[in-house]
Amino acid sequence: MEDKAKNASTKRTVFKVFVCVVLTICSLVVLYPIIYTISTAFSPLMTDANSNIIPFADGFSTLQFERLFLDEDYLLWVKNTLFLAICTCLLSVVVCSLSAYVFSRFKFAMRKGMMISMLVLQVFPSFVGMIAIYVIINRIGAADQLWGLVLVYVSGNIPYNTWLVKSYLDTIPKSLDEAARIDGANHMKIFFSVIFPIAKPIIIFLAITTFTGPWMDYIFPKMILSTSEHYTLAIGIMRFIESTTNKFTLFAAGAILVSVPFVIFFVAGQKAMTTGLGAAAVKG
Amino acid sequence: MDLSLSTDGSSKKKVLIASCIFMGLGHILYLKQFVKGIVLAAIEVIFLLSSKTVLQMLNDMIHLSNGYERLATFRLIDGIIALCILVLFVMIYVISIKSALEGYNEFCLEGRTKSNKESIQGLFGKAFPIIALSPTVILVVFFVIVPLVFSITTGFTNWSKPDHLAKAFGTNIDWVGFSNYKDMFFGGDTEWTGSFAGVAVWTVCWGFLATFTCYFGGTILAAFLYEAKLKVTPVFRAILILPYAIPSILTVSVWKNLLNESYGPINKTLRQLGIISSNIPWLNDSKLAKVVCILVNMWVGVPYFMLLITGQMTAISADVYEAARIDGATGIQTFMYITLPLVLYQTVPLIIMSFTHNINNFGAIYFLTGGNPSTAKSTVTGAGATDILVTWIYKLTMNDMQYCKAAVLAMLVFIVLAPFAIFNFINTKSFKEGEL
Repeated sequence: MEDKAKNASTKRTVFKVFVCVVLTICSLVVLYPIIYTISTAFSPLMTDANSNIIPFADGFSTLQFERLFLDEDYLLWVKNTLFLAICTCLLSVVVCSLSAYVFSRFKFAMRKGMMISMLVLQVFPSFVGMIAIYVIINRIGAADQLWGLVLVYVSGNIPYNTWLVKSYLDTIPKSLDEAARIDGANHMKIFFSVIFPIAKPIIIFLAITTFTGPWMDYIFPKMILSTSEHYTLAIGIMRFIESTTNKFTLFAAGAILVSVPFVIFFVAGQKAMTTGLGAAAVKG
Repeated sequence: MDLSLSTDGSSKKKVLIASCIFMGLGHILYLKQFVKGIVLAAIEVIFLLSSKTVLQMLNDMIHLSNGYERLATFRLIDGIIALCILVLFVMIYVISIKSALEGYNEFCLEGRTKSNKESIQGLFGKAFPIIALSPTVILVVFFVIVPLVFSITTGFTNWSKPDHLAKAFGTNIDWVGFSNYKDMFFGGDTEWTGSFAGVAVWTVCWGFLATFTCYFGGTILAAFLYEAKLKVTPVFRAILILPYAIPSILTVSVWKNLLNESYGPINKTLRQLGIISSNIPWLNDSKLAKVVCILVNMWVGVPYFMLLITGQMTAISADVYEAARIDGATGIQTFMYITLPLVLYQTVPLIIMSFTHNINNFGAIYFLTGGNPSTAKSTVTGAGATDILVTWIYKLTMNDMQYCKAAVLAMLVFIVLAPFAIFNFINTKSFKEGEL
């Protein structure tokens, strides 16, 4: 009996050591590119082609960040991306929640047809219509314009988000807005003062996803924007490693600056996002 | 002409005919709903006035190659927009006829026509959904539906480099029927069909391998973290989650640099440590590059599954474990027969979702290899050894300007993926709880 217990406890220790070793190796694999990027971002070299293989062995300087802010349009790119994200977020929230409200509360001709076509349309990956969107953007004179990109983003996420908000609104009892109507409120007023406050959780989720969406998108900005003053962060940073001259040190500095808020946002919002995701995604 | 209506339903034909002759006529003549009738009539007048342009646009689209003065792509897009306007008009027409008949039914029930005041009030009530929906409808029509139709139609043209580009003067784009489909899928052009077969096989393999490596990697890590109950578990978890928090476009690009054959730090390190004597062509050998794609994708994708599966494991009720312990199950038995099956069962929809995501995972391939290394067929078709369908479509559109071929592939991706995507959506809470 004692032997058996001892045996089990040895087994347990062996298992723990094994797990520790595996997890340490995994952590090193995860950390290696990240540490390498950080060390490159603070290196004084103009390119990483001849850099030392030991991180931080080339010295420590903020040269890359100075180059980023002084020689490149980095701050402009941040401003552009912020503008893009805010516009996409606001427009999406207004347009999607309004149409969701109509679909949830009104009966009218073609309502069902429109809802089903929304369901089918949200299936298409956005790149299917890539070239057509490019032609349309040119046709309406929005080439190299941020507002053209806003239109593309907003309309691309309408079908899915309308469904998302509509199904949330369906769970809000209709008696609430009927009571408001009896009190003499019109539809606009009911929407903003009754529905909007109750639908807050899903609206916040919608706002977060539409706000974060444009930050690192590549395909559409790359296609629509052509001058450096109009670039978004993703395109601006990616250009450092796409050109024939390797500017990986600059890329590393830019990537670090972008990643830090992402990681902070992720840590802070992890709980909120998981609950939101739970509501939006697959039933657990 | 008798403009009065009888309440027994016998005047239905009269209302129907008037409504069919001119939009809103039934409302004005018989139902005395003047405001609504005039609005509807005005819509038809506007349409008739613009019908010449609309028909011209449609005609331009049908005869795509005629005339040099306008870019054929603009003709195509204008034609599709004209088609949308036409469809929209027909729909409004049908609705107006329906509304006239409904109005007559109400008349039969109440025995009198609605007063103008009533009908105006009704109009304002109905105006809200129309106003609230119009931005949605306009945006979806112009940026979702028109592009879609445009893509479908592009597949039936010869719009491509070098001889059929819209910008080149005198080189016209024209309809070519199914020849693109024939070239691509049925051996009409052996280069294209060969490239397609290669890319399609690799896309499916990639989808499966990328999904399963990430899923099982995530499960194993989650199980280790969960079962071992070490003091440092939170530290490990925080580190292992990092790749999920950082945008993958950046991390994949870093890996591309790390794995560079001639100056990448990994080869440099291995060489200086004396492990290898010549550089390893991580991304330049077609077989090795495929393996590297899957490994880098694991680095990016495993944390997500680890997070999800940890969540599922902690959600399993303690009673189940208690019962297993009383029955004398060992730790491994508990894990194999209780934890794992429960988690697997819960995550099946996620596996399917992840599979469709990976099939379309543009970033994981494009930012790492760009579809390279090139193959024997690459000069004609542009498809490299690690290209999946979406990266190939992207390169055909942005670099090679083979728009018609790209459109054919895009259609295929859609037809194959639509059932999966609909399955995913039907599984979501928002679909289940909502009603149509």
